[in-house]
Amino acid sequence: MNCLSVSTSMEGRRSNLPIRSEKREREREREREQYRSSMLQCIFLLSDSGEVMLEKQLTGHRVDRSICAWFWDQADSFKSLPVIASPTHYLFQIVRDGITFLACTQVEMPPLMAIEFLCRVADVLSDYLGGLNEDLVKDNFIIVYELLDEMIDNGFPLTTEPNILREMIAPPNLVSKMLSVVTGNASNVSDTLPSGAGSCVPWRPTDPKYSSNEVYVDLVEEMDAIVNRDGELVKCEIYGEVQMSSQLTGFPDLTLSFANPSVLEDMRFHPCVRFRPWESHQVLSFVPPDGQFKLMSYRVKKLKNTPLYVKPQITSDSGTCRVSVLVGIRSDPGKTIESITLSFQLPHCVSSADLSSNHGTVTILSNKTCTWTIGRIPSDKTPCLSGTLALETGLERLHVYPTFKVGFKIMGIALSGLRIEKLDLKTIPPRLYKGFRAQTRAGEFDVRL
Amino acid sequence: MPPPAASSRYPSPSQPSGKSEVTDLKSQLRQLAGSRAPGVDDSKRDLFKKVISYMTIGIDVSSVFGEMVMCSATSDIVLKKMCYLYVGNYAKGNPDLSLLTINFLQRDCKDEDPMIRGLALRSLCSLRVPNLVEYLLGPLGSGLKDNNSYVRTIAVTGVLKLYHISASTCIDAEFPATLKSLMLHDSDAQVVANCLAALQEIWSLEASHSEEACREKESLLSKPLIYYFLNRIKEFNEWAQCLILELAVKYVPSDSNDIFDIMNLLEDRLQHANGAVVLATVKVFLQLTLSMTDVHQQVYERIKSPLLTLVSSGSPEQSYAILSHLHLLVVRAPFIFASDYKHFYCQYNEPSYVKKLKLEMLTAIANESNTYEIVTELCEYAANVDIEIARESIRAVGKIALQQYDVNAIVDRLLQFLEMEKDYVTAETLVLVKDLLRKHPQWSHDCISVVGGISSKNIQEPKAKAALIWMLGEYAQDMSDAPYILENLIENWEEEHSAEVRLHLLTAAMKCFFKRAPETQKALGIALAAGIADFHQDVHDRALFYYRVLQYDVHVAESVVSPPQQAVSAFADTQSSEIKDRIFDEFNSLSVIYQKPSYMFTDKEHRGPFEFSEELGSTSITPEVSSDIVPAQQFEANDKDLLLSTDEKDDNKGLSSNNCSAYTAPYESSNISSQMQELAISGPAASATTTQSSFDFDDLLGLGLSAAPAPTPSPPLLKLNPRASLDPRAFQQKWRQLPISLTQEYSVNPQGIAALTVPQSLIKHMQSHSIHCIASGGQSPNFKFFFFAQKEAEPSDYLTECIINSSSAKAQIKVKADDQSTSQAFATVFETALSKFGMP
Repeated sequence: MNCLSVSTSMEGRRSNLPIRSEKREREREREREQYRSSMLQCIFLLSDSGEVMLEKQLTGHRVDRSICAWFWDQADSFKSLPVIASPTHYLFQIVRDGITFLACTQVEMPPLMAIEFLCRVADVLSDYLGGLNEDLVKDNFIIVYELLDEMIDNGFPLTTEPNILREMIAPPNLVSKMLSVVTGNASNVSDTLPSGAGSCVPWRPTDPKYSSNEVYVDLVEEMDAIVNRDGELVKCEIYGEVQMSSQLTGFPDLTLSFANPSVLEDMRFHPCVRFRPWESHQVLSFVPPDGQFKLMSYRVKKLKNTPLYVKPQITSDSGTCRVSVLVGIRSDPGKTIESITLSFQLPHCVSSADLSSNHGTVTILSNKTCTWTIGRIPSDKTPCLSGTLALETGLERLHVYPTFKVGFKIMGIALSGLRIEKLDLKTIPPRLYKGFRAQTRAGEFDVRL
Repeated sequence: MPPPAASSRYPSPSQPSGKSEVTDLKSQLRQLAGSRAPGVDDSKRDLFKKVISYMTIGIDVSSVFGEMVMCSATSDIVLKKMCYLYVGNYAKGNPDLSLLTINFLQRDCKDEDPMIRGLALRSLCSLRVPNLVEYLLGPLGSGLKDNNSYVRTIAVTGVLKLYHISASTCIDAEFPATLKSLMLHDSDAQVVANCLAALQEIWSLEASHSEEACREKESLLSKPLIYYFLNRIKEFNEWAQCLILELAVKYVPSDSNDIFDIMNLLEDRLQHANGAVVLATVKVFLQLTLSMTDVHQQVYERIKSPLLTLVSSGSPEQSYAILSHLHLLVVRAPFIFASDYKHFYCQYNEPSYVKKLKLEMLTAIANESNTYEIVTELCEYAANVDIEIARESIRAVGKIALQQYDVNAIVDRLLQFLEMEKDYVTAETLVLVKDLLRKHPQWSHDCISVVGGISSKNIQEPKAKAALIWMLGEYAQDMSDAPYILENLIENWEEEHSAEVRLHLLTAAMKCFFKRAPETQKALGIALAAGIADFHQDVHDRALFYYRVLQYDVHVAESVVSPPQQAVSAFADTQSSEIKDRIFDEFNSLSVIYQKPSYMFTDKEHRGPFEFSEELGSTSITPEVSSDIVPAQQFEANDKDLLLSTDEKDDNKGLSSNNCSAYTAPYESSNISSQMQELAISGPAASATTTQSSFDFDDLLGLGLSAAPAPTPSPPLLKLNPRASLDPRAFQQKWRQLPISLTQEYSVNPQGIAALTVPQSLIKHMQSHSIHCIASGGQSPNFKFFFFAQKEAEPSDYLTECIINSSSAKAQIKVKADDQSTSQAFATVFETALSKFGMP
């Protein structure tokens, strides 16, 4: 057999190798280790019970799995830290949907780089598998291996751009399964090479063709707000993203302009956005990636008002507390406020709770999380949650107060006031369809008591 | 050949199974190996998947190695990938078997599909079996010339892998030169980036034994090359951009125009969506402008908003990493975030590690203009459900109070905490009130009236109890029932488990006695009796000391125990500014997260590459290895132990536990000496040592230690490098390796002995003679110092251990030197320097 002949000739050769000063070689080996620039040595994916679902060794220095057991046995407050020094390695971790992405290194390196990379891995996986959970990862572990193989080599991140990865490794979706049946090509790896890797615009494949050309722009905003005990608005700001979905033939050059770009602060752009046009005229000029992507993110600070008000009151006396919470519209955004919810954690010292509302439903889970689902504000009354909390025996008054988390959604409007003026294409392809949407939802909206 | 629909017989991959399944798999694979039947690839794929899934869940499937390799002759790329994965995992354990794989991998390296060529090459280089090295050369060489950039990218990384398997093979094949030309001429950005990464690593490692590599390494930092990269930085992907930015940090700009050019080129990187790029850019900006004070300040303004955006828009993990860096910036430039304090308000859902850092930020940025708002916000957290955060926020309020001149409003807030009647809130607050009173005794009146109302029964935590007792003793004249509360506590002496509290009780009883003798006499008597009978050495000693000093003279006792108190102007900062500077130099690294320069933690926790090097094979820490890597402080402590006799050691322990209590509540002046010791450890060690990163830097300038040319004839008069540097670890290593070349004893002049009461003075003195201290310790009469010095012209080190006995006025030195022929000359320099110590 062919391989056997190779092996015998090897045997012969190995014995002829000049015997090098082994000791010196070893010293140099140690020295080399000190200067290793390649960074991550291993990536583990752990299930929510701490089981190792996947292990990807990245360098010649194997990281033993026992590190995961060590990690899992740590106390919670320590274990949750994103960067952990174990006796042997530094560990970076992020947790997404119950899956822990754990990376190990032994050398000094930028921590944010490791964390960003793990976040990117999680995003790409969730994109490929249509979500993230233990079963999905286990069922598709070959794909996960394939992806990791292309995303990182020798411990240094390579390509994390989803569009390019998609060209190298086809996602396990229905379409590709169907195709494989029809064409008889059972491989889930596309035959083409990552042309993007060679193209001068790294985020775009060389020449996609579409019969109908579509481009959609979504403004998605989240409102973060803190209302303090006195009902004052301590902080209120919007975090927004311009999300796009583009299916355009050829090499389209787009210009997106806003009616009021001056409201924007702290912008961060997708690499495709040209910096100079934004600096001089506040217009976004770019060649878009193919498919869905986040064009930019921004922040709008110092907003004056939240669309909703929440007025909680708690009075406690001789072991029982009276609770009442009112929710209403403070400033009408002009569109319906939907999916209003209010949730809070009952303090530990509450032994039982009797809460009801005049609108919507109230649920209290066994972990003492109380959720009031309001939906829309009715026109005829102000939704009100009221009832009593019984404290554990021996307690007179409540010392720990809950924080109310508010959720809402408004379709069709960006609360920051940002408006898109127009989207221009340098060369207009045939059958072009452009669409715009906006929506705002609550991000971290805390009302303290 | 039956295409096995049989695969359904196998248990699902997630169920671990025993040996029989593996044997079964083996025979299945063997059957398929030679088959060309249609559909065989599908069956193979099922089997391969099973093998890999066993491998993933930790079952040893190395026994099917041969069958896997035989089955890998296929055109199916997924099969190939699975096989590569498998081989990569087991090749190391089966070097002989992996010879089998060489054949098919080499063949795949010539496949017409560039993807297969690339993948095969990557797997080939990842086998990392040293005796297969020569089979890599051919495929790597053609891979570097491949017309497809994907293959070239992989080949470049492959060269680096080869270098780590066998450096000499890699150098002999002249791969570095090939990479250099690729780096300068390849059209593909990823190829260029990989070349840069590989060359950086190879040349910095080679630099220690090859002058040429040293030159090449420097050339990476030459102006044309830096601009070559920076001008096209946008063509690189985000990770490669980080690499280039890291390179730019090391670049030394020629003039201010150069600096501005670079900053202009990089300005838009601050708005990149990837936080790692932003942070790397920030580092470039900060390092470039270090020498230009006003521009440096403008840089802080410029980087502020991108950093704040990163904090609030990323995942909690990202926020954590950024916040650690912001903390560092705030220490350098407290004003920068002063008006953006709301960014650091905690949101309910944030994980506590983020909240903690935010609290630290709020503490750090509080100034006259925002204190009120910040303290108001912090007070809201005191009622937080998360007790740890509640505690932290109270401490934060206290820290702010100690920083500020106008503490009026804060005192009220603190006192309000006491009314919340929550044990942990009260406990934390008491400790703070105590610290506050030490700094601002003028508030005693307000505080005491509230503190007096607290029942000592509700306080269980030792620290809080100690604080309360301290206040009772200190302000006995203002609290009408202080003697009685103390008496109560003293009566429960037996139930008091914390020695710290008992120590404080003794002192408080004494203080109270001096102010209100008739009321306290009885309690003091009980306390002293109980204290002398106490099983705890410190408590016993202190009680006995009080008893004797009272016996000797009550007034002397009062002047010792309760002298007029001076308000504390500043509490000892836990970190010296040198260390903070050092961490700042290591911006965008793990050091920042640990708030320690890397030399202080990488050794200890990294445990060095030693036991991880493959020769040793296991991750266990062998005793020899762990003793190799004693961290700097421990090193210090060890020496102290060597020096002191056993009973002195005990004393020393007692002293240190005294210190603990002195930190939490004020007590006499015993902590001064220990603080001195601490300074002796951290101060000079930090100033005189270099970290890995600056070590690199030295190397870049061609000062690499082992790159020393042949020894020059020793000059008649030895000149030492005034800015020599050596990190503690390198010191230790050398100290162990080098033989003692000289032992001598000198006498020290009386002025010197007198000046030695402050050991720092000797350290300073020697430093002025270019002899640097790396560690020091000991107590009168025995002092021990470790010094090092470096020749002016070449990197040749002298290490010295110097033991000075102040009672006999003798100094004993042991010298170890790289260049032993000059150690006598060095000893002469050392003696001359020492003889001048204490002279005006």
